[in-house]
Amino acid sequence: MLSGIMNMAAAIRTSGRTLPVNAEFSGRKMSPQTRRTVPMDTGWVTECERYMLWIDGVGAWQLCIGQNFLIGGPTLEHQSADICLLANISRKHAALQRIQEDWFIHPYQQTVVSGRTVADRSLLKSGDEIRLGERVRLGFRIPSVLSGSAVVDFESSHRPAQSVNGIILMTDTCLLGPRRDYHICCPEWPDLVVLFRQDGQLRCRSKMSLKVNEDRVRESAALNNGAIVTGDDFRFRIERLKNLNGT
Amino acid sequence: MKFTFAPETRPLDGYTIKRAIHRGGFGEVYYALSDAGKEVALKLLNNNLDVELRGVSQCLNLKHPNLVTIFDIRQDADQDHWIVMEYVGGRGLHEVMQDHPAGMPVSEVLSWLSGITAGLSFLHDRGIVHRDLKPANVFSDDGIVKIGDVGLSKYISESRRSAQTQSVGTVYYMAPEVARGRYGREVDIYALGVMLVEMLTGHVPFDGETTAEILMKHLTADPDLSAVSPAIRPVLAAALEKDPSKRTGDADELERQFRLAVGQLSAKEFTFASAKPLPAADSSSRPAARENLNAALNRGRSVRERSMAGMAGTWEPTVRFWNERVPTPLKWIICGSLFLLIMESGVLRPVAAGGLVGGAAYLAWRAYLSIFGKSAPKSTGMAWYGEQSAAETAAVNLRPGQYDIPVSDGSVRQNRATVPQPILPSARTYTPVTVRRIPAGQKAVDITSSMSIALLAVVLVTTAVHLATDLLPQPAHVAFFGSVTLLAAWALIVPCKIWEGRPVDTVMRRLTLGSVGLGLGAVAWTIKEFLLLTDHALLHAGDGGMMRDIPGGRISIASPDGIPTIAGFMVFFGILFAARRWWWHIDSFRKSRFRVSSALFTLAVGAMLTVAMPFPEALGATWALAISAVVQLSAGWTPPEERSLLPAPDTRSATPSQAPARHPGTMAPRATT
Repeated sequence: MLSGIMNMAAAIRTSGRTLPVNAEFSGRKMSPQTRRTVPMDTGWVTECERYMLWIDGVGAWQLCIGQNFLIGGPTLEHQSADICLLANISRKHAALQRIQEDWFIHPYQQTVVSGRTVADRSLLKSGDEIRLGERVRLGFRIPSVLSGSAVVDFESSHRPAQSVNGIILMTDTCLLGPRRDYHICCPEWPDLVVLFRQDGQLRCRSKMSLKVNEDRVRESAALNNGAIVTGDDFRFRIERLKNLNGT
Repeated sequence: MKFTFAPETRPLDGYTIKRAIHRGGFGEVYYALSDAGKEVALKLLNNNLDVELRGVSQCLNLKHPNLVTIFDIRQDADQDHWIVMEYVGGRGLHEVMQDHPAGMPVSEVLSWLSGITAGLSFLHDRGIVHRDLKPANVFSDDGIVKIGDVGLSKYISESRRSAQTQSVGTVYYMAPEVARGRYGREVDIYALGVMLVEMLTGHVPFDGETTAEILMKHLTADPDLSAVSPAIRPVLAAALEKDPSKRTGDADELERQFRLAVGQLSAKEFTFASAKPLPAADSSSRPAARENLNAALNRGRSVRERSMAGMAGTWEPTVRFWNERVPTPLKWIICGSLFLLIMESGVLRPVAAGGLVGGAAYLAWRAYLSIFGKSAPKSTGMAWYGEQSAAETAAVNLRPGQYDIPVSDGSVRQNRATVPQPILPSARTYTPVTVRRIPAGQKAVDITSSMSIALLAVVLVTTAVHLATDLLPQPAHVAFFGSVTLLAAWALIVPCKIWEGRPVDTVMRRLTLGSVGLGLGAVAWTIKEFLLLTDHALLHAGDGGMMRDIPGGRISIASPDGIPTIAGFMVFFGILFAARRWWWHIDSFRKSRFRVSSALFTLAVGAMLTVAMPFPEALGATWALAISAVVQLSAGWTPPEERSLLPAPDTRSATPSQAPARHPGTMAPRATT
């Protein structure tokens, strides 16, 4: 598998695309797990880790953890995009990248950001509308000043194969709670729950008393695949999506 | 919110629960995936009662795009019942309403209303009453409105008992007769009325601290509709009538009235709409059955089918706004003002001013009609049509199948059986190319009345030109302009009305009209000579005219001092008559009585002619516009909803015949039953 990716990376490299920020990516806060995969020149160093958040009474969100997020259309092959939409777009249509404090979009195919066509890597700001191909429209926002993570909303009817309310591009933390400026607004929840990464692990913490799989959470607790987080009046489950290269 | 089932549990074989969606009045609803990955909603029924299940079982096989589809009813290991149904991803109406605390825009209300009405009509037609219609049960999934909880509503009284604890919401939409145990389809109309008020104002009409207080208000209080625009108030008041027998009859009727009222807000064009229904063209030739159908339809049960699918185009909102919300006279004034701006420095300025004044005159005339005419039919027996864009017209149709029409005829019944058909045979859109037989007498009446109305129209238009421009300063000018316009209108109306209904042979018609135009040109020149008009300002062709220097043999079309000769007049009118398809302006089945675009296009043709040949620019263009306006205003026209072709009385003639055309200010005789 690894050699396959190497080959592919080599093939892509010959196509002439280079990304000057690669070195920076592999150096920052990367978990051992993510660092293991091979950087690729097309602009996504790794496939990100992908989770589904099933939140009772609120909805379902896809949580992508990483620094580079590839958006693409459906494919029957193993290698599909991190954000894979059922839409008439290229399999590698564009990538969203977090570089230090900024978000960039790297278009591979026809991409329009808030009305202007972008050909090269361009800065994204909260509230931008991303149009891929003719008809796919996505909203990009960074809801919270407390976190650099972004949210991708579906503005056209194009979605992943299963219903999701939105996609969280998590670079540091993901905030769930009653306020609108959290990544996931759960109106009925009494207070904030934070998801964050530490030592290559996805963890959660809150001021409220939480249980993860029936175990009371002290400071914070690791969320493994299938973990059910329960509060006094809410519940959600986290499910690891199979990474598309098999990891 | 606590839910019974944890994620990843499998209460039903084959389905894995992923998350809880919400807790409704009837139980918990979960989002689940089948083993193959199909998304479904699973609803666990609280009260495991037979009657309740009977309600759902009845609805298991109902198919309608505006109803949430039920796939199956299953029992788990604990003998609890689950309803497996379509997962609807979109937002509920109650959530959308929260975004609009002071009421939603009317256009949005209409799109919700049309979806709800379609679903509700379908249910009512199947003899099913929803009984628990409320915003939390209505969703929009990718623009398609879906009504949920169908068949679950037997137990309104049940949920009312528990209302205090969890779902107070239900009582807001509960009709007063429910308290007496009556559940007719009027209950749904009442709920829809409450929802309309809530959508428009952001508040339910009957609110209170306690369930009992709200129920009491439903029974006794008059709804406070002061926040709603006065035109809509009577419609909502009729839907919220306490006595179910006095309430609006069915959902389609409510929607129709609502659209009509909304249309009146923008002074829509109904003056010409009337009570005459479309008989289903080929439903049956038996007079008795048709009469019954007519009678039923006459009671105002016509409906327009709408599709929300095509509303996404970028221009669509603008076009819709222009077509539906801008009243015709205002369109005139806007067009006129625009023209004035564009032509500020040009020679067409007087023409633009004429258009402006014409629009004002038209407005005044419409106001006169609506005040003094017996027209302005308000609520009964009239299909409402917007300013017809092509798509709209095509979408408009009657669905006779939805009503309990006492028809004994089997063939009609067959037709009625399939309701959600978008287009029934009766929905055909008739255009000027529709070949039909028009009785000679009817045609003669049409021609003579069109001609007499043309006289009035010419006076109106000529006066407008006289007052608004300095083109016609003296009475002789006015007489010249008016008489030629009138003769031109007559010369067009007579042949075109004679051709009406016959198969179109464009070349022949153009040639004929061209020759008529040549003749009219000669007459116009004669009139000019007779009136001794040698006015340079009016008749001088300027130095324009590309054909000026082209030698025309022995004939010249302009005299050396730039005044067109008899040949010039003949060429101008000949080309003007041949260039436009005038029979489209004149046919009773033209798109709308007056199309501004047609008039403007004719104006452009006239203007181009004056550029191409030495003919006075202002006069030529104004004439073209005036003739088009007069012809359209005066030629008999049948509103689309009245366009019906009666089957040929004798079987040998295959061509159906047409109902009489209408003339401005006259009302078609109401169909008597």
